[in-house]
Amino acid sequence: MKPAPFEYHRPSSLAEALELLADLPDAEPLAGNQSLSILMSNRLASPDHLVDINDLAELSYVAADGQSVEVGALVRHREVERSGTLADALPLFPEAAGKIAGPVVRNRGTVGGSLGEGDPAGNYPCVAAALDADLELASADGSRTVPAEDFFIATMFTDREEDELITGLAIPREPFPPARTGQTFLAVKEAAQTWPTLSAAGAVRVDDPAADEPVVEEARVALANAAEVPLRVREAESELAGEPLTDAALAAAGETAYEAVDPEEELHADETYKRELAREYTKRALTTAHDRAVA
Amino acid sequence: MSVDDTGRSDRPTQEITVTVNGESVTAEVEPRLKLSDFLRSHMELRTVRVGCEQGVCGACTVEFDGTVAKSCMLYAVQADGREVTTVEALSEDGDLHPIQEAFHEEHALQCGFCTSGFLMATRELLAENPDPDRDVIEGALADNICRCTGYQNIYDAVETAADKLEGE
Ligand SMILES: Cc1cc2nc3c(=O)[nH]c(=O)nc-3n(C[C@H](O)[C@H](O)[C@H](O)COP(=O)(O)OP(=O)(O)OC[C@H]3O[C@@H](n4cnc5c(N)ncnc54)[C@H](O)[C@@H]3O)c2cc1C
Ligand code: FES
Ligand code: FES
Repeated sequence: MKPAPFEYHRPSSLAEALELLADLPDAEPLAGNQSLSILMSNRLASPDHLVDINDLAELSYVAADGQSVEVGALVRHREVERSGTLADALPLFPEAAGKIAGPVVRNRGTVGGSLGEGDPAGNYPCVAAALDADLELASADGSRTVPAEDFFIATMFTDREEDELITGLAIPREPFPPARTGQTFLAVKEAAQTWPTLSAAGAVRVDDPAADEPVVEEARVALANAAEVPLRVREAESELAGEPLTDAALAAAGETAYEAVDPEEELHADETYKRELAREYTKRALTTAHDRAVA
Repeated sequence: MSVDDTGRSDRPTQEITVTVNGESVTAEVEPRLKLSDFLRSHMELRTVRVGCEQGVCGACTVEFDGTVAKSCMLYAVQADGREVTTVEALSEDGDLHPIQEAFHEEHALQCGFCTSGFLMATRELLAENPDPDRDVIEGALADNICRCTGYQNIYDAVETAADKLEGE
């Protein structure tokens, strides 16, 4: 379990890191190392250079204003989990963080690493898809913004160029004012150490939480490990929007999810089982989000 | 100190200076040397256990730069200029730390392979939350695997340790 030899670089600023990524052939960013080290130990990855970005304090921020929430790439899972700002603005994000491994892994793992890895089973890619996040990327040549939907292309394959770093994530707040919104992140997993068989992120906004029959104005559901990218199920969302929540609408939403997914078979979960999980967890995520919106 | 797992001298090394258990150590290491191997094999800190070497078992857990981390998922070069603490630093002059005493009293170990990792994770938990309930304890130790005890005695030991530390 020893990685292949590499050269190690520890830049102290974003500009320096981007220069290194531009100049060094076969260089890989190193963040929390909670995924990369496993790949390297098993020789599934053997970069010639590692560019350690852990000293880039400028990528370690959580900020919210009326329009959006911004989270830096170097924010650790533990910080996401404990962020009061995120708990108030986008509670499904810290909920998702708390369901990654145990606290020792969460002390090190980062937002940028989780997105950069591009694992469709990952918690944050699913959160980013559900909340319509924009990923911010930078290279020595400049920066650009890519919507989550375009960023994730296939399993472990993203729109990031080799000389680019993810610097952060921007999430619009406008669809989900906290007072009329409920959110949740549900993960089906055997143990803390295992990746989820399937996860579901849900968000629901109602017109008036105090009404007898609050009308669902906006619903979101995204599934992890159900296709080769984090999958937002728009058809399921539109089953709910515009009327008070009913069992019939939930059942219809579940059916669309059953059809929409394209899951990879695993040792303990065949394709049909995963489709059934997608159906059930779409319903549970939307129900939980709705119940929290009206509570 | 020159550190080379393979005995080959043609691979580049890098000089690091790390504060390990309060003492500054300078060494030449290959960048790919894991912190776990550096601590266990080269610093001879035998409480650092090397189990799965891929982030699952937690036997290699140490404190790195202020929080607990799995040392098989860090390279020794990353520790340059940083502080590392292992179980060796817990006991003073041969006296067990209250968490170690609690593990002893509650029979929270059988083979003991996992114990160092549990001690380090428990230490961080109790520093952050002096009176955790059972669910919190389970969650805090979720990164550590024990193949012997069935965990219940470990959770009991954490409760006992919390009481001991509170009484100090
Ligand atoms: C036991 C265990 C269980 C886990 N369970 C889960 C789980 O249930 N759900 C889940 O989502 N995750 C899980 N993880 C993975 C964890 O979330 C990782 O922390 C995360 O996937 C990678 O983040 P990192 O900061 O450690 O990145 P690294 O491992 O350092 O990097 C991962 C990849 O991203 C690239 N990268 C890192 N930062 C950037 C950046 N800023 N810009 C561009 N590229 C970058 C690296 O080059 C590398 O290719 C688990 C990990 C372990 C060890
Ligand atoms: S040896 Fe590090 S987690 Fe198992
Ligand atoms: S006591 Fe043997 S693994 Fe825990």
